[in-house]
Amino acid sequence: MVRYLLGRVGQALAVLALTFTAAFLLLQVLPGDAIMIKFMSLDMGLTADQIAEIRASYGADRPLWERYFTTVGNFLTGNFGISIQAGVPVSQQLATNLPPTLLLASLAFATALLLTIVLAAVSSMVGMEWLRNGLQSLPSLFISVPVFWLGIMLIQIFSFQLGLVTVISPGPVERLVLPVLTLAIPISAPLAQILMRNIDQVLAQPFIAVARAKGASRNWVLWRHVARNAIMPTLTIAGVLFGELLAGAVVTEAVFGLSGLGGLTYQAVGNHDTAVLQAIVVVSALAFVTINLVVDLLYPVLDPRLGTSMGAVT
Amino acid sequence: MASRVPKRLEGVVVIQVKYQRFLAGAFASLASFAVLAGGAAAQTAITKGGTLIYLEQQPHTNLYPPAGGFYPNGGVLNQITDKLTYQNPKTLEIEPWIAESWTVNADATEYTFKIRPGVTFSDGTPLDAAAVAKNFDTYGLGNKELKQPVSEVITNYKGSEVIDPLTVKFFFTKPSVGFLQGTSVIGSGLVSLKTLALPFDALGDATKIIGSGPFVVKSEVLGRELVMEARKDYKWGPAKLAHQGRANLDGIKYVVTPEDSVRIGALLAGQANVIRQVQAYDEKQVQSKGFIIYAASTRGVNNTVVFRPDNPLVSDIRVRKALLHATNTREIVATLFSANYPQAKSIIASTAQGYVDQSAKLTYDPALATKLLDEAGWTIGPKGLRQKDGKELVLSAYESPPQPQNKETLQLVAQQWAKVGVKLNVLAGDAGSRVADSLDPVKTPIAPAMVGRADPDVIRSQYYPTTRNALLQKGGVSNKVQSFVDEKLNGLLEEIAAATDPVKRLALVGEVQAYVIDQGYVIPIFEEPQAFAASPKVKDFTFEAVGRPSFYTTWIAPK
Repeated sequence: MVRYLLGRVGQALAVLALTFTAAFLLLQVLPGDAIMIKFMSLDMGLTADQIAEIRASYGADRPLWERYFTTVGNFLTGNFGISIQAGVPVSQQLATNLPPTLLLASLAFATALLLTIVLAAVSSMVGMEWLRNGLQSLPSLFISVPVFWLGIMLIQIFSFQLGLVTVISPGPVERLVLPVLTLAIPISAPLAQILMRNIDQVLAQPFIAVARAKGASRNWVLWRHVARNAIMPTLTIAGVLFGELLAGAVVTEAVFGLSGLGGLTYQAVGNHDTAVLQAIVVVSALAFVTINLVVDLLYPVLDPRLGTSMGAVT
Repeated sequence: MASRVPKRLEGVVVIQVKYQRFLAGAFASLASFAVLAGGAAAQTAITKGGTLIYLEQQPHTNLYPPAGGFYPNGGVLNQITDKLTYQNPKTLEIEPWIAESWTVNADATEYTFKIRPGVTFSDGTPLDAAAVAKNFDTYGLGNKELKQPVSEVITNYKGSEVIDPLTVKFFFTKPSVGFLQGTSVIGSGLVSLKTLALPFDALGDATKIIGSGPFVVKSEVLGRELVMEARKDYKWGPAKLAHQGRANLDGIKYVVTPEDSVRIGALLAGQANVIRQVQAYDEKQVQSKGFIIYAASTRGVNNTVVFRPDNPLVSDIRVRKALLHATNTREIVATLFSANYPQAKSIIASTAQGYVDQSAKLTYDPALATKLLDEAGWTIGPKGLRQKDGKELVLSAYESPPQPQNKETLQLVAQQWAKVGVKLNVLAGDAGSRVADSLDPVKTPIAPAMVGRADPDVIRSQYYPTTRNALLQKGGVSNKVQSFVDEKLNGLLEEIAAATDPVKRLALVGEVQAYVIDQGYVIPIFEEPQAFAASPKVKDFTFEAVGRPSFYTTWIAPK
């Protein structure tokens, strides 16, 4: 187990290093850079000599390999550089924006899971065919709703029309209600689709008929046998979908005017703020790698068969 | 038109009244005067206190004062810094503020300022001659060690001398008439020595910008929210303002709300008091609920389309003039904008100093356009596009996101040009490509351009090669320009910078306007305002000379 764990952590670090390098190179390939955008724009009215001095002061005139190793060294010592556009250290931007995004993403993820489970459970337990069909078609609806539109609709209805929540400088809990819903609904859709289909598939298997024949109630079978078997593929997808939370957060944060990595990414992309983007890529890669590691480690806990087969391989 | 007058008054009362009082418009001014008189009676009792909630579209960037031209930056800096002089937004006269008085030598190479005693920065340090000297040394010469760049508005700066604790003298290498007005702009906001000692890259944190202004930044959530508090001991506002002493408000909360519909919805739902950036198509929705649109003039170079004559496609004056006459600005303003976006009659706004009406030369005349293009040898080819020597007349321009509906404006221009057989590609592109290509006349023969500053110097700044270089002449920051230089234009612009006689200076400004239009270098579109919307409870919401908000006198009525 320890060897397995070390192997997986090693893989994770390799992925991180590759992501870092790829991001660095790709950001260099883009036309122009943050210094050019900030200072060379005709609006600044600076002369060519002044711009050359500025470039030199940022080390932007150094060769590529030198800048790469400087950046690696800086990251290893926790120095993420400076946002040229915003004029603040990237670490300060991360400190402001990372915690709210993590909170939003985790709450949205938890809400999405809750929505999924409730939807799947109710639709499998409910007897009436029409209601069941209705519930089962909800995810298709959720998945086709654009996050942007959903956010604006929720604000218009619950804040501007009904006045139930404030959007501009709200309280700490109030701040999160609508954004979490906005983000959770589209994420819950693919999860619910997969979970529902799996429940149907597992229900059709012979061992269910055996359990029912032995006198187990439908609900008992659902919770004891079906749920456990149906949750595995959902878990895999959930790991992948966590990444989509960041994409969704860009829109959600813009619509609700929240601090977060989403808005920061949007601004940084617009201005080619390389240092900021580099840091965001590394933080996101770290999150991805961690989530996938956790999901992989959860498999054997949920399904003992995976644990033994793994043992057999090693 | 008559039916539009009342509607306009309802919406733009404050601005309208200010303009029309001194422009002495005909019937409309009488009507607006009545509104002012009616309003004044109700405004006798000013309500003090309260926090104003202001919604901004974009986060501010680096707040080094010379970078205050960016709209969001100016909105913050104008509340927290004072300027050496105050430019009266109505008369555009320069009045005392931190400087009680000043003298200028005959050839405008030496300026001496007497500083008002007892002014302090919010960190407690004195705003004296030494502090003023250090501010302008930084803005005039830059600071290489700290990466602080030179200010656009201060040219030919040589140095300063502190004569006594409250007297400072500035020296210039060449006559610099624009300097006095240059001391009144947001980009010359005075900050504490502690702020000037910080590297440029630390100045994006608003809490580090220590000014002597009526408000102080209390806290900031980067990119999201800014809380300002009124300074209780503030007693050095512009000397000629009716309001003196501390600000009426207790504070301002700036909240960045990028989404247009959320800003407007929040204002109408009472969750905010003032919002910046209201598009023309949203004005009606706001006004129909009794809210007020403030369209503050930026009083500089209009929203224009400029040519880069270095590109062979537009090097022929006949082609440029053809496209000028193929552009129907009346249609652009009527289709995309509102009465707050007046059709341009010159390259500078009609509220700018030295403005001379050029509208006779700016007619929409497709027949003339066709004739000029034919004469220039561009004939209609098989695809309906004009061509010459196997080359098609296809031009490109990047949209400029800070300008109102710039993409739509350029697309409409493209439709109009298509009617005379010329294609204009409107490019979006990422910021990097936009900046790089905008420096290359081959890639961008056409570009949108505007700049706000209430001084004749603005016209020099916009077209002179070593400053904004809108026409991309050789000798500027771009190394892609092959040969285009207009010595005559540059000569006139240099004279504007040096003309010590104000009458002569304004005459030169008139000459440049005529010359630039005669050469077909620029197509003026409209006079660009900065549009805000506010709740009717917000009173005495004012603007400095180029449309940046000032909350010093603002108060919020209880009902």
